[in-house]
Amino acid sequence: MSGPMTAQTARRFNLAGGAITLVTVICAVIWAFPIYWGIISSLKPEDEVVRPVIELWPETLTFDHYWFALTETQIGSWYLNSIVTALGVTFITVTTSMFAGYAISQLRFPGRTALWWLILASFMVPTQVLIINHFVLMANMGLLNSWAGIILPQLIHPVIIIVYKQFFDQVPRDFREAAVMDNASEWRILFKVYVPMNWGVTTALSIVTFIWAWNAFLWPFLAVTKTEMMTITVGITQVWDAFGVYYARQLSAAVLAGFPVALAYLLFQRRVTQAITLSAGIKG
Amino acid sequence: MAEITLDTVSKSFGAVKVIDDISLTVAAGEFVVFLGPSGSGKSTLLRMIAGLETIDSGRLEIGGRESQNLAPGQRNVAMVFQNYALYPHMSVRENMAFGLRNIRMAPDEITRRVEEAARILEMDALLDRRPAQLSGGQRQRVAIGRAIVKEPAAFLFDEPLSNLDAALRVRTRVELAELHQRMQSTMIYVTHDQTEAMTMADRIVVLNDCRIEQIGTPMEVYTAPATRFVAGFIGSPAMNFLPVQIEGSAAVLADGARVPLTVAPEGAAELGIRPEAVQVVGPDEAVVTGEARVVEHLGDRTLIYAVLPGGAEIIAQDGGRSTVAPGDAVPLRFDTSQLHLFDAAGRALPAA
Repeated sequence: MSGPMTAQTARRFNLAGGAITLVTVICAVIWAFPIYWGIISSLKPEDEVVRPVIELWPETLTFDHYWFALTETQIGSWYLNSIVTALGVTFITVTTSMFAGYAISQLRFPGRTALWWLILASFMVPTQVLIINHFVLMANMGLLNSWAGIILPQLIHPVIIIVYKQFFDQVPRDFREAAVMDNASEWRILFKVYVPMNWGVTTALSIVTFIWAWNAFLWPFLAVTKTEMMTITVGITQVWDAFGVYYARQLSAAVLAGFPVALAYLLFQRRVTQAITLSAGIKG
Repeated sequence: MAEITLDTVSKSFGAVKVIDDISLTVAAGEFVVFLGPSGSGKSTLLRMIAGLETIDSGRLEIGGRESQNLAPGQRNVAMVFQNYALYPHMSVRENMAFGLRNIRMAPDEITRRVEEAARILEMDALLDRRPAQLSGGQRQRVAIGRAIVKEPAAFLFDEPLSNLDAALRVRTRVELAELHQRMQSTMIYVTHDQTEAMTMADRIVVLNDCRIEQIGTPMEVYTAPATRFVAGFIGSPAMNFLPVQIEGSAAVLADGARVPLTVAPEGAAELGIRPEAVQVVGPDEAVVTGEARVVEHLGDRTLIYAVLPGGAEIIAQDGGRSTVAPGDAVPLRFDTSQLHLFDAAGRALPAA
């Protein structure tokens, strides 16, 4: 049975491997093509974009649309708004979820189980269902067209609490007991033992939350009506004028909007994949 | 250095009683070992002293101060955990300093204590390493160092040697005994390993089934076990137990052989005798003759696993150069100064 591999079986394996590689490459191309198409279209003059043929490379290469997006729109403010709100959402969500996860995992208090079920249940409610409530609430609080108004309703991410709880659950009981014997308060146990022992989770969750917040469209679109308060995802819908839609212009703005996230992906590739796997395990 | 007193303490987990009315005093500077099989409650008792488990009823005093309701950190005791529980993200120095920083001790004093502990444990060179960069034995030292820096009233050890390999365990055992002699601190040490208990303890507390079976020095526990459980648990190979009938001044074995006794109440009992008190002798001196089944040559001595005519199994000990072979008839004599008798409830009866 375990004799040496003959040349024939080796070739068959190679063939199978080759076929799999080919399929993967085709899939990758299918996935990547829209991005490629978006980028080259943003580099074509407008009349070339609307031509009814598939041209994989622009006849005339132009950066006019990027120039337009950068000079004729308020893209600077949009970037700033996106950065502030995305960082705000990330920082507040990750910190509060860390506290909640720790409390549910490590502390014993009345109502703990009920709270945990509530968090699990809130996970089943899509944000879209609550969006009218959020809008009315923010309007009553006078927070529309403000950073706080964009940030507050985006802070609900039960999945992050769940991930934190699971990681804190897995820390062996000895560490907590050693810290208790060492006279550490709950704050010190959390910040000096549990969080440092799970740095990987915190970075991964921060990156993934940042990407969610950066890409958020529906809520910022509703919460903001003033052009200068828009986030970049909302702002790119504004790159049109009285003469109608300019595809190349829109695409160039979209490329600019996606650029920081793409950069984050490239820099933290491994962490991002880890974070997606972490939360996907729960998101199902 | 402090005295620790437990006065009728009990604990249950739900309906299950895990510690049943235990009273015990550990003298200042004493090295006491809690010895027992798993599930005997020894670790729970230690954790109750540490404050990691609550005490349902009864009183705990550490250094004369009532402590059963104090938080673990306020009892002035330090604990060494079985898995060491060294914080993996901190250096050895930070691990030892953590507990002192938590009580806002002055940095100079922290440095002094950490360096002092490192000197005592000969690990000055390791201070800036992470636990992952240390061997098992070194981690063990750091765990002890983390306890020493607190200058506690008492040290609590929860099976601290069980994760070390055999050779290192023997060495660390000696080091711990030396450490105790040098520091003269009160130490309570939990183990299921009777060798550790016998070699290190000033006194052994034998626990079984949530209760104390016996408290005594290692030799007391070995030579005068208070119960059948203690007799069987301590000593390796284990004591032989033979059912006997006591008639007059002799214990009668199942096959009718008579072992002379001085005092004992009449009736059924169990005769306990350690293998080293069962000697292989010439046929005319024998009390009983068994048949050798297995012979173990240990070099300095030979263990003979034999079956007596009544069917009872017995382990006898012979010299290192014993010529007994499996299948041989072995004439045996009992050293009557080392006999133990136990009644039906397992309590020791006065014998010999």
